[in-house]
Amino acid sequence: MSTIWKLGVIRGIVFGLVGTVAGMAITMLLRTALGLSAWNSGQATALGSFVGLIAYLGGLGAFNGWVGWVLGWPEKEHDATELPNWTRYFGFHTNHKTIGVQYMVTSLLVIIVAGIYQLIARLETAQPGLQFMTPRTYNSLISLHGIMMLGAVLLGISGMINYLVPLMIGARDMAFPRLNALSYWVTPPSVLFFLFSLPAGGFDTGWTAYAPLSVRAPLGMQFMLLAFYLVGWSSILGSVNFLTTIFKLRAPGMGLFRMPIFVWATLATAFLQLIFTQFVGIAFLMVLLERLTPLGFFDPNKGGNVILYQHLFWIYSHPAVYIFVLPGLGVISEVVPVFSRKPLFGYRAVALSSLGIALGGALVWGHHMFAAGMESWLRIPFMFTTLLVAVPTGVKIFSWLATMWLGKIHLDTPMLFALTAIVVFLIGGITGVPNGIVPVDLYVHDTYWVTSHFHHTLFGGFVFPMMAAIYFWFPKVTGRLLNERLGKVHWSVMTAGFFITYEPMFWLGLNGMRRRIVDYDPAMGLGTMNLVTTIGGYLIALSMLVFFINLVASLWRGATASANPWRSRTLEWQVSSPPPGENFPVPPRVVGSPYGYGIPGSVHVIVSPTGGSGEKQAT
Amino acid sequence: MNMVTSITTDWEDRGAINRVGLWLFILSDSFLFIAIIFTRFYLQGVQRPSELNQLLGFVISVVLLLSSLFAYRGETAAAYGDIRRFRYNILATIGLGSLFLVGVGVEWAEGFRFFPPSTGFGTVFFTLTGFHAFHVFTGILGLLLILLPGQKKRLGEGSYWGVEAMVKYWHFVDVAWVFIFPTLYLVS
Amino acid sequence: MVAITVAILSAMVVAIFLNANFTPAPASAQAEPIDRLLRILFSIGGVIFVLCLVLLIYSVIVFRHPRDTEEGPPLEGNYRLELTWTLIPLAIVLVLAVQGAAVLKDIGRADPKNELEIKVTAFQWAWRFEYPQYGITSGELRLPVNRPVLLKLTSLDVIHAFWVPQFRVKQDAVPGMEKELLVTPTRVGSYKAWCNQLCGLAHAAMQAPVIVVEPEDFELWVKEQRS
Repeated sequence: MSTIWKLGVIRGIVFGLVGTVAGMAITMLLRTALGLSAWNSGQATALGSFVGLIAYLGGLGAFNGWVGWVLGWPEKEHDATELPNWTRYFGFHTNHKTIGVQYMVTSLLVIIVAGIYQLIARLETAQPGLQFMTPRTYNSLISLHGIMMLGAVLLGISGMINYLVPLMIGARDMAFPRLNALSYWVTPPSVLFFLFSLPAGGFDTGWTAYAPLSVRAPLGMQFMLLAFYLVGWSSILGSVNFLTTIFKLRAPGMGLFRMPIFVWATLATAFLQLIFTQFVGIAFLMVLLERLTPLGFFDPNKGGNVILYQHLFWIYSHPAVYIFVLPGLGVISEVVPVFSRKPLFGYRAVALSSLGIALGGALVWGHHMFAAGMESWLRIPFMFTTLLVAVPTGVKIFSWLATMWLGKIHLDTPMLFALTAIVVFLIGGITGVPNGIVPVDLYVHDTYWVTSHFHHTLFGGFVFPMMAAIYFWFPKVTGRLLNERLGKVHWSVMTAGFFITYEPMFWLGLNGMRRRIVDYDPAMGLGTMNLVTTIGGYLIALSMLVFFINLVASLWRGATASANPWRSRTLEWQVSSPPPGENFPVPPRVVGSPYGYGIPGSVHVIVSPTGGSGEKQAT
Repeated sequence: MNMVTSITTDWEDRGAINRVGLWLFILSDSFLFIAIIFTRFYLQGVQRPSELNQLLGFVISVVLLLSSLFAYRGETAAAYGDIRRFRYNILATIGLGSLFLVGVGVEWAEGFRFFPPSTGFGTVFFTLTGFHAFHVFTGILGLLLILLPGQKKRLGEGSYWGVEAMVKYWHFVDVAWVFIFPTLYLVS
Repeated sequence: MVAITVAILSAMVVAIFLNANFTPAPASAQAEPIDRLLRILFSIGGVIFVLCLVLLIYSVIVFRHPRDTEEGPPLEGNYRLELTWTLIPLAIVLVLAVQGAAVLKDIGRADPKNELEIKVTAFQWAWRFEYPQYGITSGELRLPVNRPVLLKLTSLDVIHAFWVPQFRVKQDAVPGMEKELLVTPTRVGSYKAWCNQLCGLAHAAMQAPVIVVEPEDFELWVKEQRS
């Protein structure tokens, strides 16, 4: 019993429940005092969630460090170097590797739920006609699928960045370990809010939550807004940490142009998160305020403007696409040289292209609003900026192809996933050009064409790279190798499933299949392709099942991994698998490029595991 | 030697790390105000109701700017380890900050009468002043925290990070108002 | 060999995209230039895709060394090559953007005097069409063929969008605003205007019949409606 009470998460849940009830009681008292009816479900749940969240964090012990600091208590010895045991994953633990794993597992769990939502919805659209689902359920399911997947992507990239960046740059931990743990621990309540959304009536706006529909939607809307608002803050605080870590904690000799590309991608992603997440935060907060108070941001009768929401929303949500895919493209840039045994072709161009994509991506949000009635003089400039983003993206793809050319290619599972990712992302990029050109966008906007396009970019830029990352770094994280045979089954089924799902959707979109519809006109002849798409979706689900079996089985009794099973040169592979708690007892010395495969005498880093004798060179 | 303490032992280095983090946070937070100021111009253009009390707005602006001066003096005192002057100046900052909040409260009372939240300008006015007042409020809470007795031993040369952070934040909230005041009260 | 494969496959892809029917039959003057641009985009995209895919598959087959422990050649980059694959895509996208702007101008207003003006009001979950020049209101959109139609769209509640797939162009109907969309139907027949912006419960079923008729038939219909 006392062990259980020592788990931060249990204390957090108990405190959180008490706080929620207290928050709701305060709301009712306030409303009674103002002479209103005591119960208002929106206001009560909003304040209840807020008070509950603070209480939960308090119970978790999130504030202990800061409270002690403020009150001037003597600083306690941290137990960061303690041997790993399972309890650390259920409490407020500040080691970046623990947090990375926590993020990753949470992300995978959310992906399962959001995936199941869409699998259910996809059954309904496999054939025209209403089979077994009300439109309300369908709308809620697809909306939640969208927003929860995006939350899962944010968690997933935070997981990869948390685990890898300090190791890759030779740091002992993140710059602000406590803040880092806080960034993670606000996400479980956010996941809970996402789950509450469906029983609370769901919402029928799609993940974009366009006002004024979102102002009128059921209570489920509010839970979704709160949930994503929390993920947003987690994302902002995380980005402060990532940037400071990269700026200040690089090992001696780790110049900017000796950083692995994944770190460059993190730099670009974190800047986008830092600046633009504020916009979606305020947009969602405005919807929330308009629901709960008399304020009228988006109500034309109160002097509001509907298009305002779309500007604020897309100022974040377009850069968000690059937040999602840049780390994934970074993973591809890590995996391809290792399995081609060749230096990354055009390292500097690839590094800078991440910043180029980030900068360009910040100025293109209007292309989501070509058909929305945005100020029409803005259409042409947004079309040009949008198309320009294709250039740095192309640089990356050509560089990967040139890296493989004349290489000594090994087709292990991480490389297979990276190859699928390249092809899928390439299709995503090419099909993005028509959307960027105004007159063509007026045709394909909000059809399955667009749905397919962004699933290509997100699968190619996040899902497949994340799979590559998991197969690549799983040995580092757990000390065990994933099963290669199951990995190849997973890869082949998932790749086939992907193409079967999404290529027909391009055709569907061009032939009049609109986004987000529970039913479609049988006369349009869209039934067959929709059925194919549904079958493909279930193939992806099947491959994920294989993946989870592989994860569990390999964790349980997989082959023991050496420190560097893939013969990679980057820093994280120069320490044991799993890495020691403090990563590097003494700072490693970085002396060269991380990708000098095949270059005689090239050294990236000198690591001395004991501090002095027994220096090990990574060649 | 473990990870966290080994990072924190080098005090100089830790200060630089903290400073980068704080500036990044301020950069992020300033985009919140940029978003709301954008909203003001997008919804209302440069319209301004004649009932808006420009004089009161000017007075509270002066009050807030004055508070920043005291905050600066407090930080300098903390740097020299002069605890009495540090306390005196920070208390003055808190006092002026609270006076600013009272001023905003009076503005709000007038606002409810002349341009309630359900009108275009009201929506913008209450959101912008509301978010800013929330920042002032958190700033006051932070300044109260660094006055706690437990913080005394952290003052002195090179080790007054808590004070530096809170005062920098206070200046940021102040600078934000320097942009908000003309946005609401002066343009037309 | 790579070059030959790329050339053959590219030719095939271009031939398919320029000739095959993969869109619903166009029925408006706006649809023609949009479809033409779409085919050009598909062809260029198809060639780029073929190029990359062939290189990738060739590399995987030819350079595969399953049990080899030796390293590849130390090629770290090539300035001229990198510049090429930056500048060529840059040129392509700039040309495409200019083309896009030209088509956008093309599908815009041409002859305001001859336009048929129709006020389109969207609400959950139906459409209403007013013909101010004729003083009639209808639940169906009846249009004379080959005459430019200026739709003035607005919404009573949430955002809706007006889309007839055969006309290609679409426009949101936004509450509190009036947005314009120009369509010139070119083919007699009956179509459906769908709501293309998720607007709540019955969004999927929100539609209105669109009937394009000869001008004489349109006049007849107007008379019928008035009486």
